[in-house]
Amino acid sequence: MLEGVGAEVVLSEPTGAALLEAGVRHCVDDICVPVKLYYGHVMDLMGRCDTLFISRLVSVEKAENDTYTCPKLIGLPDMIKSSLEDLPPLLEFTVDIQKRSLKSSMKRVGAALGAPAKVVRQALAEALLVQDSYEVELLRGLAPEVAMKRVLGNGNGNGNGSKKEPERKTAPPPTGRGDVHIGLVGHEYLIHDYFISHNLPSRLERLGASVTYMTQVPAADIERELSRYPGISWTYEKELLGAASHFLGRKDIDGVMLVEGFACGPDSIIGEIITREVITDDSPPLTTLVLDEHTGEAGVATRVEAFVDLIRRARRKS
Amino acid sequence: MKVATPHMGNAYIPLSALLSNLGAEVIIPPRPTRKSIDMGALHAPEFVCLPFKVNLGDNLRALEMGADTLAMVSGMWACRFGYYGRVQHKILKDVGFEFDSILLGRDGLLPVYNKFRDTASGNLTRAWVHAFRAFRAKSHAMDKFEKESRRVRPFERDRGSTSTALADSLALVHQAHTLKEIAAASDDGLAMFKEVEVEPGSHVPLQIAVLGEIYAVLEPALNFDIDRKLGEMGIMSYPVMSVYKWLTRPLKTDPSLIIDEKLARRIAKPYIAYVLGGEEHQTITGTIRAARKGYDGVIHLYPFTCMPENICRTILPSVEAKYDIPVLNLCLDEHASPTGIATRLEAFVDLLNQRRKR
Repeated sequence: MLEGVGAEVVLSEPTGAALLEAGVRHCVDDICVPVKLYYGHVMDLMGRCDTLFISRLVSVEKAENDTYTCPKLIGLPDMIKSSLEDLPPLLEFTVDIQKRSLKSSMKRVGAALGAPAKVVRQALAEALLVQDSYEVELLRGLAPEVAMKRVLGNGNGNGNGSKKEPERKTAPPPTGRGDVHIGLVGHEYLIHDYFISHNLPSRLERLGASVTYMTQVPAADIERELSRYPGISWTYEKELLGAASHFLGRKDIDGVMLVEGFACGPDSIIGEIITREVITDDSPPLTTLVLDEHTGEAGVATRVEAFVDLIRRARRKS
Repeated sequence: MKVATPHMGNAYIPLSALLSNLGAEVIIPPRPTRKSIDMGALHAPEFVCLPFKVNLGDNLRALEMGADTLAMVSGMWACRFGYYGRVQHKILKDVGFEFDSILLGRDGLLPVYNKFRDTASGNLTRAWVHAFRAFRAKSHAMDKFEKESRRVRPFERDRGSTSTALADSLALVHQAHTLKEIAAASDDGLAMFKEVEVEPGSHVPLQIAVLGEIYAVLEPALNFDIDRKLGEMGIMSYPVMSVYKWLTRPLKTDPSLIIDEKLARRIAKPYIAYVLGGEEHQTITGTIRAARKGYDGVIHLYPFTCMPENICRTILPSVEAKYDIPVLNLCLDEHASPTGIATRLEAFVDLLNQRRKR
C-alpha cells in the first residue's frame, strides 16, 4: 500500500540484542516485552526515515459487543509520542473497525502521504489482494516472514533497509514428518520474533516434532470454538482461545504449547481461561512458556525438550 | 443466602447495606492483609495484576467463613477487571469450594434482580428501592467522613486520634439500619471529628494529589494506608477518586460525576487519544489539575503490570515537565515493602519542602 502510493519503505532490523536493549532502556520497567520490542524497533528506525509509520489498533473486528485489541496497543502511539525525543514526524494509522472501515482508514493514510485519490484506490486494491494471498500462505503453514517474502519479495529485514542478511535461522515451513505434532498458540510477535522466542519453532523441529501454527487454523474453526466461550472482548486473545480450543480437541495433535509474554495483561487472563475452562481429561497435554527479555536460551531449551520427551514417553507407555 | 464481595476501601459499608436490605446475610471477610494477599497469589495466575490476587484472597477467606454466594461486577472491557469475577470464581470452584456466583453486568440485570426473590421480605421492587436508598445514604455518609478525616488529620494533636474518629464514625453508620438511623449516625459521626484536638493551624501543609489505578488509590491494604500516612506527616492529601464515586458512577444518578468524567476525558485527550478502559483520563487530568490548583506534588499509584496505568506511567513525565509539578510513581505488588514505600514517600516530601522554600 505504502509503496503503491509512492513512498519508499524502510523496515526495522530483525530483533537483536542491541535493539532489545535500546527498547528496554527507553521504556518503563514493568511493561510487557512486546512494547519494549516495539520501542526498540522505533529506535532502530530513528534517523533512517523521514516519517515514522505507526499503527494504533483500537478494534480489528466488527461485532455486536465492544471489541478491543489491548489497552497498550490502543495507547502505543501516545506512549511513543510522550516518551521519545527527536522523533521524526509520525504517520498514524488508526484502525478502529467498530467506527470506520479498514479501507477507509487505509485511504486516509494514502491521502496523508499526498497521493491523488485514484492512485490511493489502486494501491489499496492491490494491497488487499496481496494481503489475501499472504493469509493463504499463512494458512498453508508458512511462517509470517517466509510468507511475506513470497508475496512481497521483502520479508522483514530483507527489504530495502536491510544491510545484511540476518544471521538467525528462520523457522522452516513445517514438514509434517515429525513423530510428535505440536500446536503452537501465542501471539505472532512472540513466536515469530526468533530472538525473543529463542527460535522456538525450529527448536521444536530439530527435536523431531512437527509444528502447527495457530495461523493454520481456519477462521471458521476458531469462530466455532469461540461460540463455546463467549464474553471475551480482546480480539487477539479470542484467536488464542479459539486456536487453543481447536488444538486441544484435535486427535492428531499430541501437545499444545501456549506462549505468553511476561506482564501481558490479556494473556494472564486468557491463559487461565484456557487452562481452566478449555482443557478436559481427553485433551492432549498443554504447557505454558512465558517469555521476556530475561528468558535464557537454556531455559527455553530445557522446557521444550522436557515437553517433547514427556509426550514420547507417554506414548510408549500407552 | 450468605453473600460476600471482595473489599475495596470502605465499600463494604454501603454494599452490605444494599445486600442486607434484600434479605441476604452479608459475610464480610477480614480487611485484606499480607496473609489474604498471599492466599490469593497462591492460586492466581502468575503475572495477573495485584488487585486480582487481593480480591481472590478476600473471596477465599469469605468462603472459609461460610459464604455460599460470591458477588462481583463483570463486563467486556479493555481492562482485565471485567474478567475478574469469571476467572476468580472458576479458580475457587477448582479449588473445591461450592457456591453460587453473581456476576453483575455479565448475567444481565434481571437475573440479579430476581436472585433475591426468595430472600427479600415483602414486595421485591420495594425491597430493591429501599436497599438502594440505604446504599446511597451510607455511601454519602462514608464519603463525608473520609473527606473530613483528610481535612482534620494533618492538624491533629495526638497522632491517630483522627483515625480513631474515622473508625468509630464508620462503625456507627455501618450499624445503622433504617434511613432515619443512618441520617442520625451521619450527624453523630461528623460530630466525632469536631472532638479531635487540633493544633492551631500555624503551618501551611503540603498539598499532594493522590491518583492512579483506582484500587491502588482506595484500598489501604494495597497502598499501606497512604492516606493516613500522609495526613500524619502533616500533609493534605487529595485523592482524585473516591469509593463513593466508584460506587455511584455506574448508576448514573449523579450528573456531576458524568460531567466530571467527560471533562476529564477532554482534558486528557492531547495525551491519550482513545479510551483505554481504566482511570487513565483521571490520572492525566488529575495531574494537570493538581498543577493548576497549585498543589505541591502528585503521587501516582498503580499495581504491577496494570495496563492503563503503565501507559500513564510512560506519559506522565511529559505532563510533569510541561506543568512543572513533581510526580512520584509508586508501583505496588505483593512484594512491595512498607519500609520501601515509606522511604520513598519521605524523600519525596523532603523534595517538596525544599521546592517550596525556593
